[in-house]
Amino acid sequence: MAKRIRRAGAAVIASAALVLAGCSGGNGDNADGAGDIGDTLVIDTSFIIETGDPGRTYDQTGYMVVKAVYDSLLTFEPGDETTPVPNLATYEQNEDATEFTFTLDGERTFSDGSVIDADDVVFSLERVAGMVEVSRAGFLMDGITVEKVDDLTVRLSTENPSLQLPALMANPSLAIVNSEEVAANGGTTDGEDDAQSFLDNNSAGSGPYVLDSLDLTSQVVLTRNENYNGPAQPEFERVVIRNVSESATQLINLQGGDSHVAVDLSGDQVAELGEEHTVNSAASSQTIFLLINQNEEVGDVTANPEFAEAVRYALDYDALLELAGAGAQQATGVIPPNYLGALTDGVEQDLERSEAALAASGYDGETVTLQYPNDFPVGGVAFTPLAERIQDQLAAAGITVELAPAPFATEIEAYAGGQEAFGLWFWGPDYADSANFLPFGPGRTVGLRAGWTEDMAPEVADLAEAALLETDPDSREQRFTDFATAMQDSGPFVPLIVPGSNIATAAGITGVAYNSTWTIDIAEISSAD
Amino acid sequence: MAAPTKRRYPAGSPLAGYLLRRLGTSVLLLLGVTLVTFILTNMVPGDPIAAALGEGASQNPVTVAAYVERHGLDQPLPVQYLTYLTNLVQGDLGTSLTTGRPVTEDLATAIPASFEVAIWSIIVSLCVGTALGTIAAYRRGQVSDQVVRVVSLIGLSVPTFWMALVSFHVFFLQLRIAPGSGRLSPMLTPPPTVTGMYTIDALLDGDLEVFADAAAHLVLPVLVLSLFTIGLLTRFVRTAVLEVLSADYVRAARAKGLSGPRVVFDYVLRGASLPILTIVGVAFGALLSGTVLVEAVFAWPGLGTYAYNSATALDLPGVMGVGLVVGVIYLVINFAVDLLYGVLDPRVRLA
Repeated sequence: MAKRIRRAGAAVIASAALVLAGCSGGNGDNADGAGDIGDTLVIDTSFIIETGDPGRTYDQTGYMVVKAVYDSLLTFEPGDETTPVPNLATYEQNEDATEFTFTLDGERTFSDGSVIDADDVVFSLERVAGMVEVSRAGFLMDGITVEKVDDLTVRLSTENPSLQLPALMANPSLAIVNSEEVAANGGTTDGEDDAQSFLDNNSAGSGPYVLDSLDLTSQVVLTRNENYNGPAQPEFERVVIRNVSESATQLINLQGGDSHVAVDLSGDQVAELGEEHTVNSAASSQTIFLLINQNEEVGDVTANPEFAEAVRYALDYDALLELAGAGAQQATGVIPPNYLGALTDGVEQDLERSEAALAASGYDGETVTLQYPNDFPVGGVAFTPLAERIQDQLAAAGITVELAPAPFATEIEAYAGGQEAFGLWFWGPDYADSANFLPFGPGRTVGLRAGWTEDMAPEVADLAEAALLETDPDSREQRFTDFATAMQDSGPFVPLIVPGSNIATAAGITGVAYNSTWTIDIAEISSAD
Repeated sequence: MAAPTKRRYPAGSPLAGYLLRRLGTSVLLLLGVTLVTFILTNMVPGDPIAAALGEGASQNPVTVAAYVERHGLDQPLPVQYLTYLTNLVQGDLGTSLTTGRPVTEDLATAIPASFEVAIWSIIVSLCVGTALGTIAAYRRGQVSDQVVRVVSLIGLSVPTFWMALVSFHVFFLQLRIAPGSGRLSPMLTPPPTVTGMYTIDALLDGDLEVFADAAAHLVLPVLVLSLFTIGLLTRFVRTAVLEVLSADYVRAARAKGLSGPRVVFDYVLRGASLPILTIVGVAFGALLSGTVLVEAVFAWPGLGTYAYNSATALDLPGVMGVGLVVGVIYLVINFAVDLLYGVLDPRVRLA
């Protein structure tokens, strides 16, 4: 009897100890709500990361980490993604835009103190090109030939004009690694690369920070690179990037002083923050759009340009934008704002034009099924309420729509296979260049998903090709503008919303600027403390 | 008259024979789990390749072909299943399509995180639920009984996800007596991995600061998860104790003049322990594998989160790995419960 009482007592005491430990471990130190920033910066974000190997990185959080640890040949200034600027190298190009010569300064060093040279650049880029079978980033090097000119010079060549190549060289996947160190740990350029596990536990870059630890499920810890000799001024001894998938928790952590940066807040959530916090709201680079299939076998009634026009002018875009929150903008075309060639004004609702187009399309009250992913909000915009509002607005314009939501992994098969008559989807760039939006053109990747072949709109196909192959940087913007205008006039897509990116910081934190590829440049963040 | 023959057991003893039979049954059940999971996951329409590779890489036929070959997705389904079983026997659960890492590595991280919360939750639930249920039974019909029943009902009916958010907001943000999310404060470094449970590993490492911090981070998830189980246990304990209270042996114990606590612990709770044990076993299994929403609120990288991520990405190896682990968890728990039945009630012992 006494034994049993003792056992029960022990269990109760253990539980009480747990509770007491909780009380003693509270956050009283951060009672001002701003957090003691000190030498450690804490960033909360919902993890999308598979590795610390830059050559295999092709995801949002991975890019944020790699950007802090590795330097690329070029980069973008905070808040400007239109013009790549020198980072490890300067560059020149030939008139045909088929040869790009990069020159290193011979002074920048890796974290082990060794100087970065042309061999490192050639190895890094050829390594990614060689990993096309195992790396999701491998395709970035498609069609690019790498050649060492001398110890500090590398030439990149393409068969066709490629004015987007400089922007590609700013992508963290193509960052420069310490070739000797990586090769000594399994790195190769022949596709047999085995350096991932090494790079998941160590870093071999020249960035402002080095990798301390990488736990793909909970947190990534960076420490300052003591051998860094670049232009950035990393302020923190230690940076902890935590996986906090629930945005409500990110908000509470920030308000409670447990973190200094919350990356994934919605527009409604940032509205709750007081003046002691700073919110950086900006339009992201994603575009949410409607797809109207032009393939008669798939789309039936949707398969004519007049139906697409009827949908385009039936929608009240301001009302749709209400669902997106802070930072979001109406999509003015398939090219989002801040990209070369983006249109300044979006479509405005015109019910008379919609009615006329609908009559011309031969639509006779058939029910059109709108398919969309219902478990994949983009920039805080959930697709189901958006689809419901579209359904209501189109009903008012005389178009009957039924909703067919499905999980992303299920629905993407029909979307990618061009089997959706009417779809609600999104598109974002792989790197910061407007060439990433040409796939909307006829006969190209997204165009074909809408059953839009090249022969259906040869003039638009020519505009896409002209924009892609333009060799004069000054004429390039107009080429993209022409393409975007033609898409708005006659394309089978209705761009709706460019969701916002809302990054909130604690008091005293500065230097946070949204970038569509690496989200935030950690090295640019500083503290007023 | 022939002398009675001694019964012979294949394994030498009745207990060993019982264990062998249980083991055999368990293996068959686990095989069934893998088969059902495999069939169901493959029945879901979808494209795991496009979901895993993303827009850019999935346009490159070389990348797609290599991915398909690497993961054996070009093989007929029966071949894929047999390959999975062959690898399984060698301890290889395959490579996750979403994380790109061996499923065993993923699970080795997720399971200890879930176990650490679940074990404390079940301890708290057992203590509180048993106490409340017993009190309610002893004071049947009185105010305290009504109060306990209301508390139990609240525990069962309040959505756990909502309770997690509210408690995190109140205790962390408003009252400032609880730490932030996650398993450890960001200023601290996790202890060297031995068990994967931070509190235990911190103690093994002799780091009391990390232990206290890890324990502090456990409190809110444990209390929130316990709430439902406490409600469940309270109701079952109350019912079980009420049945036992009217039994002859309890009346006899009281008539002999035994003290109240002795009657409660030695007679009442022991007699009521079998149904309680059953519920505890089921609840523990659920706590280990079914807490995805609470894990999301507290940024706790456990088994539920891994299962959810795998399922939504049609990550077959991940889903099957989780299914197998959950199956093993329930089998082990049921086995332990069966053995405890024998300890608590001699009537169900073998031989």
